[in-house]
Amino acid sequence: MTDAAAQRVEALESLLVEKGIVDPAVVDKIIEHFEADVGPLNGAKVIARAWTDPAYRKRLLADATKAIAEFGFGGPEGQLIVAVENTPSVHNVVVCTLCSCYPWPVLGLPPSWYKSPEYRSRMVARPRTVLAEMGLELADDVRIRVWDSSADARYLVVPERPPGTDGLDETDLARLVSRDAMIGVARVRSPGETDG
Amino acid sequence: MAEAPGIDVDLSGPVSPPRDNGQVVFDAPWERRLFGLTLALCRSGVCDWETFRQSLIRHIADDAVRPYWRSWAAALEDVLAGSSVITHSELDARHLEMLNRPPGHDH
Repeated sequence: MTDAAAQRVEALESLLVEKGIVDPAVVDKIIEHFEADVGPLNGAKVIARAWTDPAYRKRLLADATKAIAEFGFGGPEGQLIVAVENTPSVHNVVVCTLCSCYPWPVLGLPPSWYKSPEYRSRMVARPRTVLAEMGLELADDVRIRVWDSSADARYLVVPERPPGTDGLDETDLARLVSRDAMIGVARVRSPGETDG
Repeated sequence: MAEAPGIDVDLSGPVSPPRDNGQVVFDAPWERRLFGLTLALCRSGVCDWETFRQSLIRHIADDAVRPYWRSWAAALEDVLAGSSVITHSELDARHLEMLNRPPGHDH
């Protein structure tokens, strides 16, 4: 079946190329660009600045699209990004119940699980349970806010800065910020803490 | 939707950490190809991104268990057929040709 799907895409491309509508080299470059240059590291830089520069944090929370553009990040799926901040009492998590809206310029392309029907439906219905299943246990008194992405708003979670990071600069801080923390399904690691 | 700058960036530098997050974006090569084709079509204005997105939403809603990239493919086919760029029958014919190729045709 997958072979049939693969050949159908191949058939589509061959027709598009034949008609002069698409240049395969341009397709290569776009794929390369999205795989190599557009990714969660962009978002991590944004978060690290928000942690170290209170004025930037303010701008980010007021108009994330604009604040993110200060880094030169933008493009498809990058309009109307909204930053939502975690606090000791509120945890934010992002989902797209309709399809797979996602802030590409700061997070790259969404992971497979983000697009799965299970995640899309269950995160809305039982966020605390789903987060715990994904390895993030939240205290009962922490309120969870689930943000449903759409064409009107794509959300970026601003995680809390982990303890023990006072001496770190922006570059070191950015290394701590994972994609999952910016979706809201993980905490930011403290320095020295390893994955899992 | 301007052409993204910096496409020819050095890939071995410190720009690669997206991999640090264990990100698997595509499970099969045809999925990344399909993605690239769609973006190329939107950038050159053959497709409208928002029209495509709405088509994708409909296809996902129509069949919740169909794998994501299959819905994406169906959505793109519909958009192209809708604007008479590639008709369904044209694509079916080419697809059939490819399925009937002898093994070892690789070019």
